[in-house]
Amino acid sequence: MNPVLRTQMAGVARRPARLLLTGLAVLVASFVVYATVLAQQITERSILNGLSGTPEAVDLVVRNGDINTKQLAAISALPGVAETAARTESGGPFGNDYLSVLSDPGSGPLSIITMREGRFPTGPGEIVVTPRTVERLGLALGSTAELDMGEGRRVPLKVSGIADTRDDWGFLAYAPITTVTGLAGADFLSQIDVRLDSGADAGAIQQRLTELTKGAEAPEVATGADVRLSEAREAAGEVDQVFAVVATFVAVAVIAAGLIAASTFRIVFAQRLRQLALLRAVGAGKASLSRALAAEGVLTGLVAGVTGVLGALAAGHLVPLLAGAFGWKVASPGFPLGKAAATVLLAVVITVLAVLAPAVSAARVAPLEALRSAASAGAQRGIGVLRWITGLLLTGAAVAAAGYVQVNLPGPDPENYDPLPLLLGVVVSGGFAYLALIALGPALVRPVLAVTGWPLRRLGPVGKLAVGGVGGSTRRAAAVSVVVALGVTLIAGVLVGGASIQVLGDRELAASAPADFELSSSEGAPLPAGVVDRAKGSTEVARATPYRRTGSVTVGSLSDLSATDLSVKALPRLADLDFRSGSAEGAGPGKAVIAGFLADDANLAVGDTGEAAIGPKKVRFEVIGVLSDMAPLHTQLVLDPADLTALGVAPAPTGLLADAARAGEEGRTEALRVLRTTIVGQPEFGVVVLADQRDQMKTALTVLLAIAIGLVGLTVLIAVVGVGATTALSVVERVRESGLLRAVGMSRGSLRAMLTTESALYGVIGAAFGLALGVPYAWLALRATGVNAPFTLPVWQLAAVFAALVALTALAGVLPARRAARVSPVSALGTE
Amino acid sequence: MQTQPSRRPDQASLAAVAAVDLVKVYGTGDTAVRALDGVTVGFDRGRFTAIMGPSGSGKSTLMHCLAGLDTATSGQVLLGGTDLTRQNDRILTKARRERIGFVFQSFNLLPQLTAAANITLPLDLAGRRPDAELYDRLVTTLGLAGRLGHLPSELSGGQQQRVALARALVSRPEVIFADEPTGNLDSRSGAEVLGLLRDSARDLGQTIVMVTHDPGAAAYADRVVMLADGRLAGEIHSPDIAAVTDALQSLAAGR
Repeated sequence: MNPVLRTQMAGVARRPARLLLTGLAVLVASFVVYATVLAQQITERSILNGLSGTPEAVDLVVRNGDINTKQLAAISALPGVAETAARTESGGPFGNDYLSVLSDPGSGPLSIITMREGRFPTGPGEIVVTPRTVERLGLALGSTAELDMGEGRRVPLKVSGIADTRDDWGFLAYAPITTVTGLAGADFLSQIDVRLDSGADAGAIQQRLTELTKGAEAPEVATGADVRLSEAREAAGEVDQVFAVVATFVAVAVIAAGLIAASTFRIVFAQRLRQLALLRAVGAGKASLSRALAAEGVLTGLVAGVTGVLGALAAGHLVPLLAGAFGWKVASPGFPLGKAAATVLLAVVITVLAVLAPAVSAARVAPLEALRSAASAGAQRGIGVLRWITGLLLTGAAVAAAGYVQVNLPGPDPENYDPLPLLLGVVVSGGFAYLALIALGPALVRPVLAVTGWPLRRLGPVGKLAVGGVGGSTRRAAAVSVVVALGVTLIAGVLVGGASIQVLGDRELAASAPADFELSSSEGAPLPAGVVDRAKGSTEVARATPYRRTGSVTVGSLSDLSATDLSVKALPRLADLDFRSGSAEGAGPGKAVIAGFLADDANLAVGDTGEAAIGPKKVRFEVIGVLSDMAPLHTQLVLDPADLTALGVAPAPTGLLADAARAGEEGRTEALRVLRTTIVGQPEFGVVVLADQRDQMKTALTVLLAIAIGLVGLTVLIAVVGVGATTALSVVERVRESGLLRAVGMSRGSLRAMLTTESALYGVIGAAFGLALGVPYAWLALRATGVNAPFTLPVWQLAAVFAALVALTALAGVLPARRAARVSPVSALGTE
Repeated sequence: MQTQPSRRPDQASLAAVAAVDLVKVYGTGDTAVRALDGVTVGFDRGRFTAIMGPSGSGKSTLMHCLAGLDTATSGQVLLGGTDLTRQNDRILTKARRERIGFVFQSFNLLPQLTAAANITLPLDLAGRRPDAELYDRLVTTLGLAGRLGHLPSELSGGQQQRVALARALVSRPEVIFADEPTGNLDSRSGAEVLGLLRDSARDLGQTIVMVTHDPGAAAYADRVVMLADGRLAGEIHSPDIAAVTDALQSLAAGR
């Protein structure tokens, strides 16, 4: 064995903790990478199990064509077929709503429902319904729903049970196939799921099925796996994108791990400079020294990678167990061995790459260095000319790319705009900016420290020493805070982007869903007398606001516009409407608020006068406000009630907006019930639960943000581990310094406080860099997408991120600081 | 918290710091080493004393125990009447900060602090302001006036050691311990530092205890205490190089 390598390995064997510490970042990285692989596995399996709608037990599927019950019977009788389940749907109007009745076997592996109460229908005329259907349609176990199938045919269906299903839309019933085909009055099946006997020849039976279902509109016979996959793809249209985003974030996390690993290696090598120089002095060649150090990197990567993968595997298999304890069905991730090997390989490659740069520079150590003290190594300040030039060039590239994006930003209402090139520009600029930060980091640390460290320096010698300690080795400080910065940049970007899109969503919702409920007829008929009064009189309904809405309005050359007299101040949610110019102040007869595109197309601005017409009747209005988007209720024009009357619109309201008086699902159901009673027996009217739409959109956005932040959290995790490792190594490296401070009278507590503060300062500097990069880039990216979102700064969220990161990085320094404080000053001073 | 010192008129009355029957054992059982084997010695106030002895004689251990950096196995260390061997870490830390100064062989300046900040470090830690007059005088005497804003890495070895000396002197400690202060210096810088140590004792009345193995350095002291195998092996007052060298040789011969 190479003698240099032997020396290194002996060192590793003597101090395995140091090897692990160095590899900690790599360990976490491989943990994160493999955990993501497993998460993908879990999600995909869960999607196939849950979201595809076709049970896992299905072997063959007959679908997309003419299928009838005769064919079903023939298929069921085939040898090798264990079970069949026919799928079809019927349904009809039930009161003011629609009840959908689907076929299901009711039990067994092919069933898609789970009974909760009662029993599955045993005969005709019975159904089971979903829990939400019970609430929304006012059904109960044992009650009867009478469907109006038209032409006087009314079919009573008794609720024999309540069953859970995958997506509960609130209008779903399940029944045996005969009930459904009977209801539909036609012998038509949309799909047959087939389960085979174990050991049956699937290919041969598939062939048989194709022959059995031959005809003009022959259905397709597919395998269950294919159908599940294609169904999953439909749901996975988004899921694929989500995983693309996951992959991006994981890549960033891996890069962060590489950076941290490089910086920790650099510190370890600086510490061993004397030893390396000694080896050089006694005749070790540069090449063999480099090789030896790289070999150590491989070993570190291997150990860290395997440990990380095993940890992730343990965590991944714990998730289904834990979720099962809470009653959630989550699939097991299995054992993707190939990906495990790839992750370990990746860990080794990262570590070797990370080790290469320091190894080469460490091997370049002059033998003479051995005779000098190594105390100043690693505590270099500032950067060389070459690095300055590189950094400035990178900054220039970043600014140029950002400038290109800025110049080409789309206008307020772009048509056929493709955001991809500009978004790419933002990413490129951000990448350059980040590289510039890496290059110029050491030079930037001190100015940032001068500002952020100012209050600390006032706190006395401990704070002053901590600031000095960080400022004294700007390279180390820069190396670690740059990684923290990466995490903060991503989080800040996600938060700013999320907050802005949230505001945009609120605005759009203000226009499309200004209240919890909308009661109206599809034809725009006036509300029956008493509806408004009864709604206003109910304690379950709040802010019942009648309005009139009319179509066929002409403004200038634009026809078929719609207008409403719903006051922009009538409902609290309308306050979220965004005015491009002007406002709703001073509304009254002869004044109007108009939608943005109407202002553009009819060339109207605030203060201008326009003319609206319905047929021969005309009114003139003055524009007092221009909205950036649509006007409420999908109209383009908000007029005063008097003006609407002048246009010949009948005085009776055509619709009613209302909120639920109480919050929560129960309050909403009660209010809905009250509103429905006001229109009983008048089928042309209906109540739309706008609140459900709003909830759906908000939930979708929240889930997306949560996923994004969770992923970004991985990078932050690595950054925090990096800070911990760096502090630990710097403590080891500066054990003499600690000893000296203790010798000249620093107490253990102060030393701990000082080192913990240093660690927190890495967080402060990193978070400052991160916010400085993240916020502007989030804004640029937002504008590059072309959505009309306003720039929103979630100050408190960002402050919380800042505080949390500083706390986390401080926490990362606590253990190393305790360790340093325990060392006796004599042994510390004796350390070389 | 100060315990009543047990007085020994013969040793402790005039002494700034004294060891009484001091024993330090490293390790246990067969591998135990008695680094100090019952040392009783006093160091007079305002005097410059050198501790000498061959390698392994226990001179560094003695200094570490006297300075409260290391704990003795038995015996007492009396610093101005306080028995340091009976104190907890907090009291020891305070004593080191306010009553003891150090000069080390390898300077041990904090690399990230300027010379000026290094000098006032112990005072900063104690939350005290330096005596401006003393500070100015030290900076002038030690020839550091033009170097105060420099980092240790920008100073020569002699300059660094002079900064360390200023750091030890500026808090007016009861005693300064110097551990081979010239070990890393060339002879001219070494002579300069030794002269400054001697002057500090003479002019400022500073008690100084120096550990060295260099007879030339010991000759600057008012008194040399010889140590061998963890025991006291004689002393020389107003030493010169020849006397010290002779004493060392006779010690080596006697082993």
